[in-house]
Amino acid sequence: MRLDLKTRQQLDLLKLLVKKEITLRYKRTYLGFLWSLLNPLLTSLVLFVAFSVFMRFEVENFILYLLSALFPWTWFSTSVTMSPSILTSNVSLIKKVIFPKHFLVLATIASQLVNFIFSLPVLIVLTYYYGGAPAANWLIGIPLLAVVQFAVIYGISLIISIANAFFRDLEYLVGVLVSLLFWMTPIIYPLEAVPARHQIWLSINPVTYLIQAWRDLLFNNVLNWQNVYISMITAAVVLVIGLWVYNRFEPKLDEVL
Amino acid sequence: MIKAENLWKSYPMRRDRPGLKEFVVNAPGFLKDNHNRFWALRGVSLSVKPGESLGVIGRNGAGKSTLLSLLLGVAQPTQGRIEVHGKRTPLLELGAGFHPDLTGIENAVINGVLLGHTEAEIRARMEAIIAFSELGEFIHMPIRTYSGGMLMRLAFSIAIHTSPEVLLIDEILAVGDESFQRKSGKALLDLIKGGVTTVYVSHSMAAIKKMCDRVIWLEQGEIRAEGEAGLVVEEYLKAQG
Repeated sequence: MRLDLKTRQQLDLLKLLVKKEITLRYKRTYLGFLWSLLNPLLTSLVLFVAFSVFMRFEVENFILYLLSALFPWTWFSTSVTMSPSILTSNVSLIKKVIFPKHFLVLATIASQLVNFIFSLPVLIVLTYYYGGAPAANWLIGIPLLAVVQFAVIYGISLIISIANAFFRDLEYLVGVLVSLLFWMTPIIYPLEAVPARHQIWLSINPVTYLIQAWRDLLFNNVLNWQNVYISMITAAVVLVIGLWVYNRFEPKLDEVL
Repeated sequence: MIKAENLWKSYPMRRDRPGLKEFVVNAPGFLKDNHNRFWALRGVSLSVKPGESLGVIGRNGAGKSTLLSLLLGVAQPTQGRIEVHGKRTPLLELGAGFHPDLTGIENAVINGVLLGHTEAEIRARMEAIIAFSELGEFIHMPIRTYSGGMLMRLAFSIAIHTSPEVLLIDEILAVGDESFQRKSGKALLDLIKGGVTTVYVSHSMAAIKKMCDRVIWLEQGEIRAEGEAGLVVEEYLKAQG
């Protein structure tokens, strides 16, 4: 298929912005891109030591259980935490060059997605280590959930990035809210471990279903469609609101940057 | 071709730190946007024919840069209409979006694609860009190692190699040393005389007279005079004393 020049140029731009995000992160390090693999590896090592030696939970294969939720969460939380500064740290670009500014948001999320993908081999190795094997439904489940989560993050990041240009206070709030969300999501503890009367707090959190869907897939080898559907609805709602907010305030962006 | 009708542009006048009280008071009205506003442009109309070069002069704060932002499309007019035909190439802030840790080539590719080319097109022109910038082997170094003059040379070289159709220029002729200034000035003049539609903002009256067919003189967001370059410049200089 031949793309017209304009489409080609836009795709190139997006690709270069993603590449820039990724290469810049490790630009002045010796190990470079290897850190994308090393980071999740070291994280799991720390958790392994912490949970298999010092603290013991009543969950089988706890490390795998933990990481199957923690890696997707890391993609989510890192992207959302970065989102307030995406537009405000690119003022000269935004005010002096014409290009689709939402590409900056897309590039940030995509570069974090690459990190997430690099953490998957760690999961696969651990799965074998604990005597299991990845199921065939990973091939459908991972891309599907990745698309859903991408949409969720994109919607949220659009809102936060543009809102922060108008209310810079947001920058400081987002970090706190993300860590609140972390504890409101069953990541380092199982949903069932929460007393029934408190479970309502987890079930009103849309991220719970998304993270549970990941864990169902990566830990239990099950595509839990109920969680997937709820996550899809979340994604659609967040995306629509995000696009609306972004399109509403983007034309005024030059006045506040 | 550029056609702008009755352009108005205002900016909100907000204090740097709005304060909680102001926030609470303004929050409900935020969507309605009823802040104190500063009018940077008040009803400016202009048109530039294909291949024509229009100069814009005026004192600091007269609205020249605002006008360029609107024509470029990075800012939206509060009121009025703009029509621009052709690929717009800004020569506003050279090297916008450059990253210090990327090499000259890497920055050139990103910058070129930002200016509207595909990656393949830019790579095909890379030889010419490097040659014009006179950077030699430095092109493979991170640009944080460049001097200010080298940075400007690279940025300018990229910009003029992106086959502009509509050039929007804001006071950039002071690029590099004496010999590069002459070279870049000539390259720019070739582009302008070669049929590129140009809007040229400058405080250098000599440059304006050399580069522009017609000039508008902005004062406090309005057009004070408009006409043949030499005449308007003379009038402007007389008024400044």
